[in-house]
Amino acid sequence: MNLDRDAIKAAVRAKVIELAKNLGMDASDIGDDDIIPATGYVDSAAILELVVWYEDAYQMPLKQEEINIDNLGSINSMTEFVLKRKGG
Amino acid sequence: MAHALHAPRVNNNDDIVQVIAFRVGVGDFVKQGDIVLDVETDKAIVEVAAEKEGYVLKLMCEIDDKVAVGSILLWQGESADEPVPEIEVATVASGGGNARPTAKARALLKELSLDASVIPAAGDRLTLADVESYMAAHGIKRRDHTPAVAVSAQESLPDVPGELRDLNAEERGMLITVSWHRDHAAATYLEVEYDPKAWEDHAAAYASANKLMLSPLLPLLAYRLVQLVKASPRLNATVVNGKRFEYQPVNLGFTVQAGETLYLTVVRDAASLETKQFIENLGEVQRHALQRKLSRDETTGATIAFSSMARWNVSRHIPILPPYCSLMIAHAAPKGSGRAVLGASYDHRVLSGFDVARLLMELAKPPV
Repeated sequence: MNLDRDAIKAAVRAKVIELAKNLGMDASDIGDDDIIPATGYVDSAAILELVVWYEDAYQMPLKQEEINIDNLGSINSMTEFVLKRKGG
Repeated sequence: MAHALHAPRVNNNDDIVQVIAFRVGVGDFVKQGDIVLDVETDKAIVEVAAEKEGYVLKLMCEIDDKVAVGSILLWQGESADEPVPEIEVATVASGGGNARPTAKARALLKELSLDASVIPAAGDRLTLADVESYMAAHGIKRRDHTPAVAVSAQESLPDVPGELRDLNAEERGMLITVSWHRDHAAATYLEVEYDPKAWEDHAAAYASANKLMLSPLLPLLAYRLVQLVKASPRLNATVVNGKRFEYQPVNLGFTVQAGETLYLTVVRDAASLETKQFIENLGEVQRHALQRKLSRDETTGATIAFSSMARWNVSRHIPILPPYCSLMIAHAAPKGSGRAVLGASYDHRVLSGFDVARLLMELAKPPV
């Protein structure tokens, strides 16, 4: 687990692109501040997969109420949330 | 840390017990005191309970294995992916040959009344392949085969060469479901088309107000179903021994595809939950399904169910009814069609077409 900010961003971005690719979408141009559910690249089931991957990758079990746009809505917010929770 | 469950001593004079049934499979979550398997001695059949709660990591023996008292029957862990120590179970030979038969080989030997001592083994154990090679060399054929799950009275093996494989826990579950649907339910299906815009607008407004990551469309539809069923308890019922059994709680089954496995996850007592709590509880069981960490309560006891294949762009799907469940809603929304479908598989012993059509028409409209 690499808690470097750029490494987290890259890992989240790669996962989003992978999940979008599974749905036949090219998400390579997704911006760090784009609201992931609003991009249309991934559906709810894929976002759920993203959340489960995120919990596992950063060994950070989430409470259901933490799974919201403020905490996990974009690549940047997912990155900052890990760093905040891990004290980075 | 992994925890071993050991074979119990049933009688003072019996040092060996025979495993006759597993009640759990790998990946199942069991609580302390849950019955996990049955063992038999010459004098009794005994249920073996879990000593601790945890996920079943590995079964160390097979049905019909005879194991020494004190040997390890299965491993449990705090998480489903915990590593298992490399220790082999002490199974006991039942044949008279040098190589101890595996459980599958032993079953086949018994079926054919063959003596294990006359069959050469390729390795340390006499395997199913060894017995089958011996059969092929001596022109011995199986006449029929009785599967572990009674899907029909007798089934003959096909004439085409092939290999019998055991079903995994999910496949066994699906076989039980399909068999119940076929053998018990008077299952039929009807559907209504509806304009999805009102529901989509309702879900979008809810998502925005609550800053949700995941679209709440399907959870809100499922919750509406729960509320409609709560208002009409006769929809929440089954038939048992020729009598109507009306459930007290509304336990909602909700299908979740996790990789290649389809789970029917369950939100218990859903009618007692407020909308937000219901959506959170459903989100939690969905995550547990993807993590393969579903508890028994999260996979059993559905009284009604909801399934959507909108993601797969199908125009219609007709669900199989889970055991003792008389109603499963099937949602589909073909992309770009501007229309959506709410269907229902239902048990006609319990519900009429009128009951279901009225429900679907109500469900097609979001709550005011």
